[in-house]
Amino acid sequence: VPPDGAPLTPARYKPPATETNPALEDPTPDYMNLLGMVFSMCGLMLKLKWCAWIAVYCSFISFANSRSSEDTKQMMSSFMLSISAVVMSYLQNPQPMSPPW
Amino acid sequence: MKNIYIFIAVLFIPWSFSLAKYDEFEDGDDIMEYDDNDFAEFEDVSEDTVTESPQRIITTEDDEEEATVELEGQDENQEDFDDADTQESDTESEPYDDEEFEGYEEKPDASHSKNKDPITIVNVPAHLQNSWESYYMEILMVTGLLAYIMNYIIGKNKNNRLAHAWFNTHRELLESNFALVGDDGTNKEATSTGKLNQENEHIYNLWCSGRVCCEGMLIQLKFLKRQDLLNVLARMMRPASDQVQIKVTMNDEDMDTYVFAVGTRKALVRLQKEMQDLSEFCSDKPKSGAKYGLPDSLAILSEMGEVTEGMMDAKMIHFLTHYADKIDSVQFSDQFSGPKLMQEEGQLTKLPETKKTLLFTFNVPGSGNTSPKDMESLLPLMSMVIYSIDKAKKFRLNREGKQKADKNRARVEENFLKLTHVQRQEAAQSRREEKKRAEKERIMNEEDPEKQRRLEEAALRREQKKLEKKQMKMKQIKVKAM
Repeated sequence: VPPDGAPLTPARYKPPATETNPALEDPTPDYMNLLGMVFSMCGLMLKLKWCAWIAVYCSFISFANSRSSEDTKQMMSSFMLSISAVVMSYLQNPQPMSPPW
Repeated sequence: MKNIYIFIAVLFIPWSFSLAKYDEFEDGDDIMEYDDNDFAEFEDVSEDTVTESPQRIITTEDDEEEATVELEGQDENQEDFDDADTQESDTESEPYDDEEFEGYEEKPDASHSKNKDPITIVNVPAHLQNSWESYYMEILMVTGLLAYIMNYIIGKNKNNRLAHAWFNTHRELLESNFALVGDDGTNKEATSTGKLNQENEHIYNLWCSGRVCCEGMLIQLKFLKRQDLLNVLARMMRPASDQVQIKVTMNDEDMDTYVFAVGTRKALVRLQKEMQDLSEFCSDKPKSGAKYGLPDSLAILSEMGEVTEGMMDAKMIHFLTHYADKIDSVQFSDQFSGPKLMQEEGQLTKLPETKKTLLFTFNVPGSGNTSPKDMESLLPLMSMVIYSIDKAKKFRLNREGKQKADKNRARVEENFLKLTHVQRQEAAQSRREEKKRAEKERIMNEEDPEKQRRLEEAALRREQKKLEKKQMKMKQIKVKAM
C-alpha cells in the first residue's frame, strides 16, 4: 500500500539504544582485549610460551567479535603485542613447548 | 699360591656378575671395603677380574671364546700379580700410592665406570635437533589459528549471504510501503541508500521510514556469530537460531494507550522480567491463547482483557497460527522504554522516556543451519508487521478501557514517585544545607563587623520563623487528629 498523498518527511536513522545503554552491549570483545593484553604481558615478563599463545588467540577472538565502530588501531596494537610476546618467548628460549601432561 | 689366587678370582666372578647389573658406584664401595692389607695387593686384581667377567658376559656365550678370554684374563691376572708383587714388595704396608699406578688407574676406572655406570646417551636438546617433530605443540597452535581464520572467513561470508538474501526477498515489500529504505545517518539529506547497514560481522540494520502512522521502522538482522569459532563450538552444545528483530516507532497520535504482548511462553516469561513496561503493566503470568484459537506454544500477556479482545481479530489469529514456529515475541506498548535499567541505590532518577512502539522478534527457521532460501519464508511475517501497524492505528479503547489505562499509568507513576520520595527528600535536604553553609561563609567573609552582626541577626530571625511555622503545623495536625 503506497503511502497516502500528504508529503512525508522521513525520520532519519538513529543508532539503536545500545550505544547509550552500555549494559546491552556485548562485552566479549572488550574482555578478550583485556585478557589478551594481560596474557601477553605475562608471557613477556615470565617467559611463558603458553601465555603468549593464548594471548594471540585472545586477540583473534576479540577481533572476530568486534563492532565495526571500534577503531582498528586498538585491534592492531593488541595483535602486535601478542605476536611480539610469542616471538620474544621463542628468542629467549628456543626449546619447544612441552605439553602439561 | 697361584691356585689360591685363581680360586679367589673365580669366587669374585659371580659376585661381580651380580654387581655389574647395578648402575650406582655404591656397590663399588662394597668392593673397596675388602681393603684389608691381605687383599690390598689384589685391588687391581679384583678390579681386573670384575672387568674381565662382564666382558665375558657381554661378548658371547660361545664356549670357545669364553675359554680364550678366560685364558687371556688369567694371563693378564698373572701379569698383574707379578707386577703387584714386585711393586708391593717395595712398599709393603704403605697405603695405595696413586702416582705409582697412574697407568692402571685410568683403565680400571674407565672400565669400572663402564660396568657400574653404563653410558647414558643424553638426548640432544630438542631445539638443536634438525627435526620439526619436537615442535608439535607449536604446529598444533598454528593449525588452531589457521582453523580459526578459516572459520572467520567462512562464517562472515555466510552471514553476509543470508543478510543479502533476506534483503532481496523483502526489498519489494519494503519499498512499496516506505519512502525511505535504508539510511545510515551519515548523509545530509534523507535519501534511500537501498542497502543494509552492517554493524558487525553478525548484525545488520535497516532503517525504513516515510509511512503514515509510524515514525520509522528499524529492522535488525541478528545472526549467530558464525565468524567466531568459539561461538560455533558453543552452539554445538546449545542450538540457537538467527533472529530478525523489527522495532516500529509509532507517532503519538497514532496509537492508543495499552500494553500487550504475545509469543512463546518462554520468551514472554523472560520479557516480563526484563522489560520495564511489561513488568509494570502486565502483572499476571502469561495466559494461554487457546481461547482465541492460538496454538499451545503461544501465550498472551496483556494489560486488560479488552486489549486482547481487540487485538485478536481474525487476520491476526491467522498470522499467529500459521507462523507460530517462527514467532518469538510480539509486543505492542505505549510505554516502551526498553529493558529495565540497572540503577545505583542513591541515584535520583526520573521515569525513563517512553515511546509508542511495536516490537517483533522472529526466529529464522533452520535453528542455525539456515540457507538463503529460508529467508523467503519470513516474507509473510513482514506482511504481518505492516498489518499490525495499520491495526494499531485503528484500534482504540472504549471509554472504560481508557479510564482503566489512565488509572494504571497514574498508579505506576505514583509508585515511582514514592520510591524516589526518600531520595528526593534527601536531595532537597542537602540543597538546603548547602544554602545555609553558603550563607554562613558569606557572613564570615564579610569584613565589616557591622554588616556581619546584621547578617547574623537576619539569619537568626529566619531560623526563628521557620521554627514557628513548624510548630504551627504540628498544632494543626494535632487538631485534625483529634
